[in-house]
Amino acid sequence: MPGSIDWLLLAYRLPREPSTPRISVWRKLGRLGVAKLGDGLVALPADARTQEQLEWIADEIVEAGGEATLWKSRSASARAEKQLIARMAEAIEAEYERVIAAAAEAEARGPGGGQAIAQLRREVRRIAKRDYFPPPNRDAAHRAVESLKADRVGS
Amino acid sequence: MKWATRAGCHVDRAACAWLIKRFVDAEAGFVFVDDPDDVPEDATPFDMRGVELSHHEGNCTFETVLRHYGLDDPVLWDVARIVHEADLADERFDAPEAPGLDVICRGLSMVLDDNAVLAATQPIFDGLYEYRRRALLLGKDTL
Repeated sequence: MPGSIDWLLLAYRLPREPSTPRISVWRKLGRLGVAKLGDGLVALPADARTQEQLEWIADEIVEAGGEATLWKSRSASARAEKQLIARMAEAIEAEYERVIAAAAEAEARGPGGGQAIAQLRREVRRIAKRDYFPPPNRDAAHRAVESLKADRVGS
Repeated sequence: MKWATRAGCHVDRAACAWLIKRFVDAEAGFVFVDDPDDVPEDATPFDMRGVELSHHEGNCTFETVLRHYGLDDPVLWDVARIVHEADLADERFDAPEAPGLDVICRGLSMVLDDNAVLAATQPIFDGLYEYRRRALLLGKDTL
């Protein structure tokens, strides 16, 4: 049985040196939450935003002297697709887990720490942007950070 | 002059249209296309893959347009910081205004067509420019 989601696949190759564009591209792909399928092959569920972002990254790779092509595809196997989705959700789950732990730490430190709270709020927003397949601890992470804010208001 | 960009305008294209109209070509008219091959011969394309006025080396199109036309007004570069983060959110700059601007432009594109989005965002960018101009003048982050 084939998969049921449209995926965007970015196949790319970048020269080993200089390393700056390689790092810049890898950071951008990481921020988008891509799933790595192989060397120089990453995947994201297809929508207008992911397509535009991956197109810009493809252009950046070509400008840096590399090669990049963007493909729209379906998995031939529903099972493989399910595994990929589970892997992506697990990665996000681990990120939310770290947020929950950091929120508990901030809570334990008591009032103050406005900067740490602002940083956690930014972090949760960043993760939410690449949270294509929300894991079960998503709400808990958002709540943990929101409650920090609520505690501090008026204190 | 005629200018062409992709249909479904978000923050970078709306900001560029404002920038072009205010600082490059007061008579600018805009057309929206779905495919780069559909750009009319007499139009200058922007914010599309493979054209000069687009994303380059991690810059958004707004920054490319500023550089291309040699616009060195520091207020415009300050607005560029906000547009860059609203468009790319890559944290190259600290721009707390950016998530709000992104939401406003996204929301407008849900209820208006492209021409109406450009019309509606003109006063928004006029206001943003004026706010940042005064803030820079006073050397403050916010007024």
